[in-house]
Amino acid sequence: MSSSAKTARDVVIVDGVRTPFAKAGTKLKSVHAAQLGQVALRELIARTNLNVELVDEVIVGNTGSPSDAVNISRVVALNSGIPIKTSAVTVHRNCASALESISSGFERIKSGTMDIIVAGGTENMSQMPLIMPVAITSIIERLGSAKTSGAKISALWAWLMADLKQIKEMATTAPLAKTKYKPIIALADGLTDPFVGMNMGMTAEVIAKEFGITRREQDEYALKSHQKAIAAKAKIKEEMTPLYLPPDFNETLTDDIGPRDNQTMEALQKLKPFFDKVTGSITAGNSCPITDGAAMMLLMSREKAESLGYKPIARIRGYGYAGLEPERMGMGPAYSTPIALKRAGLTMKEMGRVELNEAFAAQVLANQKAFDSDDFGKKLGLPGKIGELRTEILNVNGGAIAYGHPVGATGTRLVLTLMKEMKRSQTQFGLATLCIGGGQGGSLIIENEG
Amino acid sequence: MSAIQLTSKTINGQSVAYLTFDLPNEKVNKLSTPVMLELRTHLENLKSSNHKMIVFQSAKPKIFIAGADIEEIKNLKTKEDVQNAVKNGQSIFNLIEDMPMPTMALINGACAGGGCELILACDYRIATEDSSTRIGLPETQLGILPGFGGCVRLPRVVGLQAALDVILAGKLLNAKKAHKIGLVDNVVHPNLLENFAVDQIGKILADGAQKRRKKFQPRGPVGKLLEGVLSGVVFKKAKDGVLKATKGHYPAPLAALEVIRKTHGSVDRERSLKIERDHFVDCAVTDVSKNLIHVFYLTEMVKKQTGVANQSVKGKPVKHIGVLGAGTMGGGIAYVAADKGIDVRVKDISLDANAKALKHARDLWNKLTKKRVIDSYQFTQKMSLVSTTVDFSGFKNIDVTIEAIVEDMNIKKKVIAQTAAEMRPDAIVVTNTSSLSVTEMSAGHPKPENFAGMHFFSPVHKMPLVEVIRSPKSSDETIATVFELAKKMGKMPVVVKDGPGFLVNRLLLPYMAEAAFLLSEGMDIEKVDKSFVYEFGMPMGPFELMDSVGLDVCLKVLKIFKAAFPDRVEIPSLMEKLETNKSRLGQKSGLGFYKYDEGGRKTEVDGAIYSELGLAAPTNPLSLQECTERCVFAMVNECALALDADRIVETPHEVDLAMIMGTGFPPFRGGLLKYADSVGAKYIADQLTKYSAERNANRLRPSVKLAERATSNLKFYN
Repeated sequence: MSSSAKTARDVVIVDGVRTPFAKAGTKLKSVHAAQLGQVALRELIARTNLNVELVDEVIVGNTGSPSDAVNISRVVALNSGIPIKTSAVTVHRNCASALESISSGFERIKSGTMDIIVAGGTENMSQMPLIMPVAITSIIERLGSAKTSGAKISALWAWLMADLKQIKEMATTAPLAKTKYKPIIALADGLTDPFVGMNMGMTAEVIAKEFGITRREQDEYALKSHQKAIAAKAKIKEEMTPLYLPPDFNETLTDDIGPRDNQTMEALQKLKPFFDKVTGSITAGNSCPITDGAAMMLLMSREKAESLGYKPIARIRGYGYAGLEPERMGMGPAYSTPIALKRAGLTMKEMGRVELNEAFAAQVLANQKAFDSDDFGKKLGLPGKIGELRTEILNVNGGAIAYGHPVGATGTRLVLTLMKEMKRSQTQFGLATLCIGGGQGGSLIIENEG
Repeated sequence: MSAIQLTSKTINGQSVAYLTFDLPNEKVNKLSTPVMLELRTHLENLKSSNHKMIVFQSAKPKIFIAGADIEEIKNLKTKEDVQNAVKNGQSIFNLIEDMPMPTMALINGACAGGGCELILACDYRIATEDSSTRIGLPETQLGILPGFGGCVRLPRVVGLQAALDVILAGKLLNAKKAHKIGLVDNVVHPNLLENFAVDQIGKILADGAQKRRKKFQPRGPVGKLLEGVLSGVVFKKAKDGVLKATKGHYPAPLAALEVIRKTHGSVDRERSLKIERDHFVDCAVTDVSKNLIHVFYLTEMVKKQTGVANQSVKGKPVKHIGVLGAGTMGGGIAYVAADKGIDVRVKDISLDANAKALKHARDLWNKLTKKRVIDSYQFTQKMSLVSTTVDFSGFKNIDVTIEAIVEDMNIKKKVIAQTAAEMRPDAIVVTNTSSLSVTEMSAGHPKPENFAGMHFFSPVHKMPLVEVIRSPKSSDETIATVFELAKKMGKMPVVVKDGPGFLVNRLLLPYMAEAAFLLSEGMDIEKVDKSFVYEFGMPMGPFELMDSVGLDVCLKVLKIFKAAFPDRVEIPSLMEKLETNKSRLGQKSGLGFYKYDEGGRKTEVDGAIYSELGLAAPTNPLSLQECTERCVFAMVNECALALDADRIVETPHEVDLAMIMGTGFPPFRGGLLKYADSVGAKYIADQLTKYSAERNANRLRPSVKLAERATSNLKFYN
């Protein structure tokens, strides 16, 4: 085994906590992303009895950038009781924003720059806004700068006419179609590749077709994700804190909303392909739902953790990010994992557990094929295949198809779930990896110390 | 040493005089007689000087002028003394107003009472936006009224309605509000005050150094009517408001209102000031005023205290507190702490219980947000300070845990031991018990020196008192820490010794029990309660009080008392009868002596209670005087023992502060013992002897200690 000696500058994970995840538009729709982050961070501080005065920096991943909390990390930090003096930064690497918070923290600690980092992610996808199109904002600008009442009336009239056109377009065009006057759906924009203009679902269609992943295989995979998640309910609770639902606190969310104990093949098979309606295989059932949630994690240098009397759960061994064609972004893990393995000095064979984010079932299955393919490995410049990604160690408690994928928080969730599972199953090494919209992959390798 | 320095500055080539208030060896500037004399001399000299303007300012960092010297007011005995003092002050402020050159006040810090009246006599006023800048006329709070022209000049400057708000409530305004109503002309950052003033003075001098008599200009037609021909409506409404709030027990706001009504719009300054002066004199010599000043001193006393005799002992810093139990008390404590910026972790056994505490706090802050006392950002900040748990996670970070769980000695001891084990060894645990022995409970804590009682009163967000209960083992450091924490939470702490009911409940229980006896003797519930509210001045009568405490709790505590003092405590049999009806527990069950609606508001007396208790319809055989005396004197009787025999507290001051802050005992009476002194121990003992014989009530016999005071004619306050 490639266990390396423990060193003072090892980066260890002391603990992590997340909120329950809820499908967008349901229980958490009115809870601001900053508040989601605060619930997780306050609980993390409590569970670790952390002396907040010692925290060097708070790094939080987020992609939605709520307009009233643009550096959301700072808002989360202050409302969680982190001192005013402590710096806070928000990081954005799309789906890997929260993984970026961990890898950034890793670098700051490894280099000796800092000793204690809060790394996490938060996202409220329900609250991503509708944006006025230029055709309308230009009229509002005109109104604002109008000097005479005549000019004002003219601008107001133009606004009214634009509104009428907008209503007409809403009634006559497809919901997601972009038109001149319809409001721009920030969420839909975010899920569309800005380089090739392809929706994320369509990129999954490309992979499914190229790797020959059938609809049935995808649905079976999706069903298993739900079944595994339901079976793991009690275990997964360890990583969560209850969330009292504001404003009335009449209800407390204690479980993820996503996993369905009544999911069936019949129900999954009935769904129509959402993106490629004619020849496609990607449905709402075999992709992850749009989700709200937050997760936080406490990183320290080993020497600091030891001097404060903490017993870490895991050590970070290495990470890697890699780029690939944006239209095949789902294959990201196959590109970034060899880099992370190399940096960690480990091989796929040594991995006891893998959390690979289930953006789409097709993309998970295609990655499994690619990991086990000599040809694919050679294409990456490796001597042979990356290494088999065995089904028995992959997402053993289910994945994002069941739990959901709050984009800016998922990276932390993957590492958190992986770390707790490795402790339970006493496996030594584990890999958390995910595909990143825009054509990247991210991977992080940890070693169990719990 | 002089209290006012005269300097001068040349601005735009012209000389400007600066009068700087700086009372030697004092933290604050006060307008005492010597200071006023000095001011007069300066003004007389400046009147004929070549200075083109006069500026008033203070050299104290957070104080402009805090007001008149309260000690002097207190010592004014005769009407003539008062008359002369006020006349003198009025004439000095007239001097300011009549200066041939314009005058300006630069206000940074507290500017209250006489200080505010001084700036009103000036032509121009500039304030700083510093949070210490508070301007207003709090005189009515002390049972007097603004007497140096404040009643006359304020309405002229800010208009009738704003002036009434300021004077009748006696509240101080921050700079922003003072500017909004026109009390000050400009608000600037403290660092800019000096230069900004120089600029303004430059402009005033360039415009010919004009005097200015600022007169309020109402906005809009409705404003004009209300300030003018319809001002009667405003006065009527203000009077109704005052009567509703004071139930007629406080003459000062009504007198101030009368002064303003008689002088509003008048141009005859001498006549107006005479009216003000006459009413001031009437108020100043009343017992109400003396008592309110006494209460003011009591609150000032607490500000200086640390809770322990050894002044070198300092409390430990408290940043995080824990609260065990998310019920009414726990939720209330969490709210009060977080409202003052303290991080709170609430622990109960279920998420649902915790959610109730969150909701309790949220509802209270929601109200403040709606009233615009706080904004939505402050709401979020405060709300985020309250976190909850069902285990002890986070308790290592907690400095003080306040236990507010079920009133059961064994459970409490067990939980206290558990809690102590989950906290740092230097952390403190306190109990919010209202009836159990803190000394016995301290055995549950492995380090009893880190344990004490911290007894809040319900509703926590309204009642200012906190009894800090010292067990024989509590350390000075623990008591000082808890005392300081209570102050930080905006409360008035009083340190009491352990003993049944501590101080306040020990006195209240005989009072409430006596009311129950009155009921069994044929008195009408509402009639007795109303008499206590409208005649004696309590915020609620004894029956309503029992409802709010909880009838089951009252009986439980009475039983504890009976066990502790079997010779003098008698449990009214009807209280035991009441216990059999489990739906009649008081306000919390919606039914007690009164009925309550879903919001917990009292609706009416429940007429069915008489028959339920086997009583005939009330015939009211007793005089209301007897009712009041039996209940109130029962408290005094017990208090004599608590103070003189058991030394639960050391001074009558603490008794009075506790009774006022914990039960709402009428402040205008100065507190229970101030009141007792005013009627005399002998009278009280005589009446108690009489009642105990007439009503065959052993419990009412004067206690040994009261009898001692009666025979030696010794007052509680020496």
